[in-house]
This record gives sequence, C-alpha cells and structure tokens, in this order.
Amino acid sequence: MDKLLEIKNLHVKIGDKEILKGVDLTIGPGEVHAVMGPNGAGKSTLSAVLTGRPGYEVTEGSILYKGENLLEKTPEERAWAGIFLSFQYPIEIPGVTITAFMKAAVNAKRKAQGLPELKAGDFLKQMKEKMALVQMKPEFARREVNVGFSGGEKKRNEIFQMALLDPQLSILDETDSGLDVDALKVVADGVNSLRSPEKSAVIITHYQKLLEYVRPDVVHVLKDGRMVKTGGRELIDLIESQGFDQF
Amino acid sequence: MGHGKYLDPFVAVAPQDDKRCHSERSEESLYRVRAGETLELEYVVLPGESRDIDVNIDLVGPGAEAHVKALYLSTGAEKVNFHIVMHHRAPGCRSTQKINGIAGGRAQVHFDGTIVVAPDAQQTEAYQENHNIVLTEDARVETRPQLEIYADDVKCSHGATVGQLNPDELFYMRSRGIPEAEARTLQMLSFLSPVIPQGREQEVETAGSSYCCCRRSSSAFSSRVSSSVPGAPYKLCSCIGSFSRSNSSHSSMS
Repeated sequence: MDKLLEIKNLHVKIGDKEILKGVDLTIGPGEVHAVMGPNGAGKSTLSAVLTGRPGYEVTEGSILYKGENLLEKTPEERAWAGIFLSFQYPIEIPGVTITAFMKAAVNAKRKAQGLPELKAGDFLKQMKEKMALVQMKPEFARREVNVGFSGGEKKRNEIFQMALLDPQLSILDETDSGLDVDALKVVADGVNSLRSPEKSAVIITHYQKLLEYVRPDVVHVLKDGRMVKTGGRELIDLIESQGFDQF
Repeated sequence: MGHGKYLDPFVAVAPQDDKRCHSERSEESLYRVRAGETLELEYVVLPGESRDIDVNIDLVGPGAEAHVKALYLSTGAEKVNFHIVMHHRAPGCRSTQKINGIAGGRAQVHFDGTIVVAPDAQQTEAYQENHNIVLTEDARVETRPQLEIYADDVKCSHGATVGQLNPDELFYMRSRGIPEAEARTLQMLSFLSPVIPQGREQEVETAGSSYCCCRRSSSAFSSRVSSSVPGAPYKLCSCIGSFSRSNSSHSSMS
C-alpha cells in the first residue's frame, strides 16, 4: 500500500463558517508530515475531522484511510483502525484512573480485532514499559486521568497513551505548546521511538520547536483553510526567518 | 421494604436522641450530634425507586461533625426528594454535604438544602454541594441550596449545578477506542465518584437496592459503628451501564 491516508479537496464547516476550503494531503506508510500554519488556519479542524469529533460538517471532498472511507466511521472505529490524536488540550476525567481508562481502551481495541482481553499482569507490564518511555512516574497509573497534571505531564500522558495503543497514524496537535525544553525532549524521544516503516505521523504546529527533534519528511503550510505550500525541511527555516505572511 | 433497619446500629449508640419514621418510600430523621462526635450519612438511590429523604441534623456540641453524601440514579418516572437541614447550634462544628445524581427518563428530582448557623455557632465550617446531570428533555431537576447565617466568624459555601454530560470527555474517551456506551458509563461513574462512599465501593456494588447507611463515632464511644449494606447482588456499575445504554439516544441533546 503506497498511501495510508488520502485527503482530497476537503471542505469543512463549523456552523455557518467554512474553515477548510479544499485541503489535499496524502501520507504514505512510514512518513512523518508537518502541517504548519498561523493561528486560525484550520490546523485543529483538520485533526478534529480526521478523528471524528462531533460538530464539524464535511461539505465536500473525501478522506480515505487504508483505502476505506474514513468519514463514515465513528471515533472509536477510527481508533481501532489505528488512528490516534494527541490532544492540544487533554481532557480531565475525575474519578477514572489512568489504569482503568487505558485498560478499557486497550481491551476495546482487542475486542474489535477479535482478540481476547489482555491478562491483568500483561497489561500492567505493558503500561509500566510505556510509562517509563516518557518518564512518567509509576504512581501516575493510579492517578485520575489528567486531574491536577501540569501542562508537561498532560502531554507526556498523551504520548504514553499513544505508545500503549500503538497507532499506525498518529496526529500530534500542538503537542509542543506549553512544554519546556526538557519535557519537549522527553516527548520527542517518545515519538521518535515509535517511528517505523509502517507507522506515519502528522505533526501539527505553528512553530518549529518540536520539528528540531522529530524531523519530518514533508512540510506543509496550511493557511486560511488551504495547503498553500508543500516542501521539505527547508520550509521550516523559511518560516522561522520570514513567518507565514510570505505565503 | 423499609430500609430504615440499616440504621439500627446507630440506634444502639444513642437511642434517646433519635426519632424517625420510615415508610415504603420516605424517611424522616433527626440526628443530634454532640461534642466530639462525628456523624456520617450515606444515601444511594438506584433506578426504579422513588424516595423522600428528609434529614435534620443538629450539631449541638462544640466540635461536632456531620458529613452527608448522597447519590441518585433515576431513569424512569421516579420522584426523588432531598430535604436536608444542617443546623449549626454550637461553636467550632464542621459539616459537609455532597449530593450528586443523574436524572434520565421522566424522573423528577428536587433538592432543598439549608445550612443554618446560629448566632452562637462561631468558627463554623459548613459546605454544601449539589451537582446534577439531566440526560433527557423530560427529566426535571430543581435545586434550592440555602444559607442562613446568624454568626459572623464562619466559613460557609454552597454550590449547585444542573448540566449535561461533558461532550469533550465523551469524545476524548471515544478517540481512544472506548465505545460510546462504555464511555458514557465511565463518565457517569466519574461524575458520581465524589459521592460513591470511599473505601466502601464493594458494598455499594453489592447493594441490593437503594440504601442508607449511618455511622457515628465519638471520643466517648471509641468503637466505630457501621451498618452493613444488604446483599442481593446488584452492581452499581452494571446499573449505570444499562442506564447509559438506555439513554444514549439522547447524547446529542443540547
């Protein structure tokens, strides 16, 4: 398969307002793409539509994932098919521990694949491994999801979940915002360790910080709802020195 | 089915102070809490059961404490009424009230809670919270939190909310692959978690029906009196689970 994701002429509205005005994006297996753009360009709308967030209306265009129409799948079906979104603003769920949350997620995916539930011991072992990957302390397993977490801890929790769910297409929405250099390195190392010839990623960001550590193969510039430029890493430096106004 | 029998251990501690009557579906209780004593009351009202819970608590001795927790899950045409009066009559007393619940179907829930702080009850600490989720257009929740404060050196707060399940939470869970019905179950457990009795989840899960539990401890009676919860197997979790499935068609209600 030469295409994992194929977005064609995607138009998306929120209420009466058109946010995406004909986006094209094709991602092959193993590729890391960066989507850069100023605030309000439609970057988060793109990630929301890819993961099936309610409230977004696709008025035109198509999204194929592994050759299938992604738009008719529910958010959970997309997760089972290997799509993962690292949220820009991770949600707090009081009263639900990370262990309970991830156990439900992992076993739901296994059920969808026709596999039996993981044994408790095996699950906890995997959790421990993946938490170590992003330097989360073991006691976080018993913490309520994102409740009382610092900005950095929330983002590390996202990458931990990504590692545990082992997605084929990871979407990182502004994962670098609010991170100090040390936390950024931990997150980047986590993301890099998950790279493989089959797995792809979309890194959505409005500045180049994370892209110094997770090096993309292709860089896109999204502005006013359209991809206005696509190129290699040289685009990152161009944006760094001259901003988005040039496009 | 008078669930008042579960209060018997309390009667054994201080029968002279307790008068209440029970019927099929109503409970009126007056509790007098004396110096150094702590009273804990827990109520769980499960689907299919209408209840009138009418509680008057008098904190009559310095340093007395009272804590009330209640949860309701009402899915059909139940009527659930809470009427709670927390009366601080002595100085240095502390009270908390947490009442959370979820109303679906055509359930009608009414919460009426008053904190009264008498002129002599300085250094009172009294908190009251009532949070409600309404799942359907036909369900009704009315909440009336009230404060009557006649002392000037007190810490009191009350808060009440009536809302819907948070759609962002739901989407977050679904984006991780948790199916919608299961995500809604987790969400409801999450919402109710502050009022699920701590360290007593086992007992709640095996509670056969709605119940009330009362514990009283004091320096004079060092042994902690705890009532046991009756036994028919009935899990709160599975109860919420079937509840969330039966109401999932309303998930997009605004």
